[in-house]
Amino acid sequence: MRPDATLLAWWLDELDEEEANDVEAHLFECEECGARLRELLELGAGVKRALLEGHVAGAVSGKFINRLREDGLNIREYRVASGDSVACTVAPDDDVVVSYLQAPLAGVRQLDAVFDDHTGTHRATHIPFNAAANEVTFIAPTALLKTWGVAQQRVRLLAVTQGAERVVGEYTFRHSPWPQHGA
Amino acid sequence: MPQRAEATDEIALTQRIMRAGPKRDVAAEEQFCRRFAPRIRMFGLKRLRDDAAAADLVQDVLLLVLDKLRAGEVREPDQICGFVFGTARQLVIDSRRTSGRRTRLLDTFVADLEPAGESVSHTFDTDRLRHCLQLLAERERAVLVMTFYDDCPADELGTRLGLSAGNVRVIRHRGIERLRDCVQGRRKEPT
Repeated sequence: MRPDATLLAWWLDELDEEEANDVEAHLFECEECGARLRELLELGAGVKRALLEGHVAGAVSGKFINRLREDGLNIREYRVASGDSVACTVAPDDDVVVSYLQAPLAGVRQLDAVFDDHTGTHRATHIPFNAAANEVTFIAPTALLKTWGVAQQRVRLLAVTQGAERVVGEYTFRHSPWPQHGA
Repeated sequence: MPQRAEATDEIALTQRIMRAGPKRDVAAEEQFCRRFAPRIRMFGLKRLRDDAAAADLVQDVLLLVLDKLRAGEVREPDQICGFVFGTARQLVIDSRRTSGRRTRLLDTFVADLEPAGESVSHTFDTDRLRHCLQLLAERERAVLVMTFYDDCPADELGTRLGLSAGNVRVIRHRGIERLRDCVQGRRKEPT
């Protein structure tokens, strides 16, 4: 038996040659490990499908967006400076909607984001960010946005340090639905 | 050391196929294919990263192994797992593989491999998975999405996110556990 972490590390090419050969030989003998890895990869395929179908929201890296673009996905992008407001929409054939929120992030250890819109308030903690670029890259839930009418969303980025927090960026997204054909 | 029950079964199947030789024990061959096809496919997907190529590899390996078993050319039937693995590895490595041999073998045996087993599918509830994914911590979700989008290894992902490879592995492992527990209903909501 091999742990899930080892099986996944093999799949992702993280093992050295000797370790990889050992896992490969084991997978030819062990039905159970093979079944566990297949289950893990099906879970991963579900995660990928959720992204491609527009059901994932959250911070990612800018390089990841480049990869999506290279793969031919339709990406709608908004680059927003702190304090700015942006008119935004989502087209029927958009696969991913991305916002690049700019803020002074040097020295920030923990960054949280608070989202306010007609559905309520949501706080995301410990979000990944690019301190060198002073930027946070957010993927919006494209499938959900396609169902929205006119709406507004405020986003605040908060730098958190031992019980205290300060706002490092505020952004307003004014969403309009994509015009209906013939409207 | 005692052998695993499934290994014993595989050796027994191997011996049946060898005993039958050219007369063929079709039932044993079918069971043999069902057992080994998912393993070869997994190996092929990992090495070739291509569904069609992995499917071809499954057929190539099984055809060659069965051919050798029927001809009595496998000297250590109790090492059949290693033999299948070695054959699969060699076929991936061997760039001199020609389509001619494959065509001949397929013409002869392809009908027998039609039922060559697909693995048991663990189908997840799509809506539940989406819901559980959004309940993960931000870093866990980011790491899982970026990992599984294109099978990104931890060191590369760490560079993208400004984290160490070790940190990515920890976050990834924790995220997978929470997501799986949530999807399977073992935990109502990840915290």
